[in-house]
Amino acid sequence: MAVKIEDYNTNIKNTWCPGCGNFSIHMALKQAFVELNLTPSEIVITFDIGCNGNGVDDIEGNRFKGLHGRSVPLAIGAHLANSKMKVIADIGDGGCLHEGVDHLIHAIRSNYDITILIHNNQNFALTTGQATSTTKEEKPMYAFPDGKAEGSINIGELVLSLNPTFFARGYSNDPKQLTEILKQGMNHKGCSVIEVMQICPTYNPQSNHDWFKERIAQSAIKSTISEAVATVKDTEKIYTGIIYQNRNRPDFLNNLENRKSKKTELVDEVKQVDIKSLLSSFK
Amino acid sequence: MKNRFAIKFAGQSGQGVNTLGELLAKSIKNSGYQTFAYREYPSIIKGGYASYQIDFSNTEILASTKQFNILVSLASEALHKYIFGLNKGGIVVHSVNDFDFTQEEIEYIKENKIEVVYIDIEAIAEENKAPKIMGNVILLSYVWSLLAFDLRVLEKVVKDTFKNKNIDMEAEIRCLKAGYSYEKPKGYNLNIDIPKVKGNWSNSLLLTANDAISLGAISAGCRAYYAYPMTPSTSILQTLGKTYMKTGMLVKQAESEITAAQLVMGSMYMGTRAFTATSGGGFDLMSETISCAGITETPLLIVLGQRSGPGTGVPTWTGASDLNAALYTGHGEFPRCVLSCSDANDAYELIQRAFNIAEKYQIPVILLTEKQSAESLFNVRDIPKAIKIERSLKEGKERYEITESGISPRWIPSKGKPTYLVNSDEHTPDGVSTEEPAEIVRMSEKRMRKLLTLKEDLPEPIYWGSKDAKKVFVGFGTTKNTILEVMKENEDIAYLQYQYIYPLKFEKILSLEEEGKSLILIENNQNGEFGQLVKKESGYEFKEKLFKFDSRPFFVEDILDFLKS
Ligand SMILES: Cc1ncc(C[n+]2csc(CCOP(=O)(O)OP(=O)(O)O)c2C)c(N)n1
Ligand SMILES: [Mg+2]
Repeated sequence: MAVKIEDYNTNIKNTWCPGCGNFSIHMALKQAFVELNLTPSEIVITFDIGCNGNGVDDIEGNRFKGLHGRSVPLAIGAHLANSKMKVIADIGDGGCLHEGVDHLIHAIRSNYDITILIHNNQNFALTTGQATSTTKEEKPMYAFPDGKAEGSINIGELVLSLNPTFFARGYSNDPKQLTEILKQGMNHKGCSVIEVMQICPTYNPQSNHDWFKERIAQSAIKSTISEAVATVKDTEKIYTGIIYQNRNRPDFLNNLENRKSKKTELVDEVKQVDIKSLLSSFK
Repeated sequence: MKNRFAIKFAGQSGQGVNTLGELLAKSIKNSGYQTFAYREYPSIIKGGYASYQIDFSNTEILASTKQFNILVSLASEALHKYIFGLNKGGIVVHSVNDFDFTQEEIEYIKENKIEVVYIDIEAIAEENKAPKIMGNVILLSYVWSLLAFDLRVLEKVVKDTFKNKNIDMEAEIRCLKAGYSYEKPKGYNLNIDIPKVKGNWSNSLLLTANDAISLGAISAGCRAYYAYPMTPSTSILQTLGKTYMKTGMLVKQAESEITAAQLVMGSMYMGTRAFTATSGGGFDLMSETISCAGITETPLLIVLGQRSGPGTGVPTWTGASDLNAALYTGHGEFPRCVLSCSDANDAYELIQRAFNIAEKYQIPVILLTEKQSAESLFNVRDIPKAIKIERSLKEGKERYEITESGISPRWIPSKGKPTYLVNSDEHTPDGVSTEEPAEIVRMSEKRMRKLLTLKEDLPEPIYWGSKDAKKVFVGFGTTKNTILEVMKENEDIAYLQYQYIYPLKFEKILSLEEEGKSLILIENNQNGEFGQLVKKESGYEFKEKLFKFDSRPFFVEDILDFLKS
């Protein structure tokens, strides 16, 4: 039986602000699952803490809402145990670049076969609008009417500096393109990082759709990292689309000497093991 | 004490003291004795002083004496440091050129009739056309000749140990023989009259608690190990890494302890068995995950290898001052289980039990070791039978169903199975977030009921010793080992061992008190953390207490002195 979008809907009341970019991000996510013909029991989504994570009630699937900044290592643990599952780590710009930035770096370096979906609304929204490393520097934010004193991080530039195998950027008001990006990202064998420029009408009303419309532009896929970096660093345009992909680097499990030829998953292997043959080196 | 003998190898860190110690421990074991090997070393790679002490006996031996009969030293600092540890009539063998004892040392040597033997190992190595580094085995075989043991036993161990290493084995054997025939002090008599153990111990194993934990985990169907290196738990990573081609276990060095704990939680949630091990500092970083596993009811298993001190403390030395961390870390209120092992035998068993408890009760389980158990070599005759795997998986309607036992159905997420939401927000039985007071109370009470169910399920503490003993030491971890050594010659003392510390079964303590025993709390820490727990749970306060917190384990003499006072 074909998978339908309804399979992914829940009847729990949603709590996002009207106009929140998260609505269309979830729409695209559900649509991508449907188009990949994945049932909710074949996917795992780990949720972070933030407005993004509050979407946990809004979508079906195997879901784990854990701790702030930790949705990436939680997702990796799940993926390593059962790589047949499509595993998505859902996270905000705050959780990803602040509380858990080390996890992003090592996930890319290790090239686990998961998808990291970053909701970049350029602020800590759930804690009512503090500055993150993607907030514009001069923009007044919670407790800092004169803007932040720190510099910024460009997510694409950071990701591309780590020799990733997949980086894409989407826009929350373009769920059609985002669906396509998500599908490609999930099909990519390795760590796919997807940044979504997300509208936040409450804490970032200046960057509304009109603001984005002037700046969003489609980019073709780049064949080198340096071209990709130039694309994500463009100061006039915010380029979207699959910006970089490398299909030649094996993912983590296929790099593990003792696991790469295994047909079973760790979840299938929990059985008593006779350790006799291991004892000779202790005699 | 009778029927025991101790040899200490000492030198700078990086001089090969551990290798010598291991070779000797194996060879003595293969000669038909029971051994216990204890390491001291600084937290540096080169320099300082390190030592490896082997105590052997004809009965099970689990702890060291402070004093020893033979000291072998490769370096001057260690020589000054350990000379006062020699017994009356002992012997010191060293290879330090132009070494001068201090006046105080000279007097000690004279007073205690200690023999001093200097061997120019480099010259002998050269005579035997062997590289200088082989000088070490000259000392080893010299000790072997002092013990008057059969050289063939030592030779076989050396050959087996180095067979896959790229060394000149013939030169090695020439050095062994040269050391064995090196002249002994005239008329010197070591005076060992320890009968050999009956039965065949030469086939027994030498295991650290870390080795035993690794083997127990493999046996229990654990399929993933994630860790960040930290003494004294680091060697678990090595044992599991070295065997991973055979076991197929996924062994992964994580970028931090935060990550390691999250990986374990993610893998356990997904339905395999995984664990991590660390020490105090890394354990602190795992706090948030312990709390998260508590509310999400995800099985979690952490081995906490204790060393001493807060902060970085005394990184390579022992202690048992992280019990409170294990008991109380993590915000909010949730059930957990804390276990403590004392040696390789119970470490092997408890890691298997820990997996069963974590899965059945869906809680975080913390297994405590100490540097003293984690890195000491225990002689284990036979690995006991594996403990049956109990996963208690069950499909249900609601993941957090309210039940009397507190245990809700948990099933492995997989294709075609009902999906569920695991939620670290407080939630209703279906996993959906809630802020309703009645729901919060209902779910919190359900979770906490697991603690009562678990307590019923846990075994009583183990009573070691004669029923008629008047004094009963009560404690956890390696303090048991030292008391058992002293008990061999003193039937008046016994030991009550807590392997299952929390939830605490305190009833046995109260009944021993009622029987009129005098109870002594013994802990390798400053404040008596276990005693505090007993008081909190039962109201009972120990009147007599023996604490040691100088980063050293309890030696046999510590207990003898205490009993005398
Ligand atoms: C350890 C920890 N620190 C702080 C918080 C409080 N907190 C909740 S959400 C959040 C920020 C969320 O920002 P982001 O990740 O960008 O998500 P958004 O709400 O913008 O979607 C913070 C700081 C927390 N839950 N846990
Ligand atoms: Mg945000």
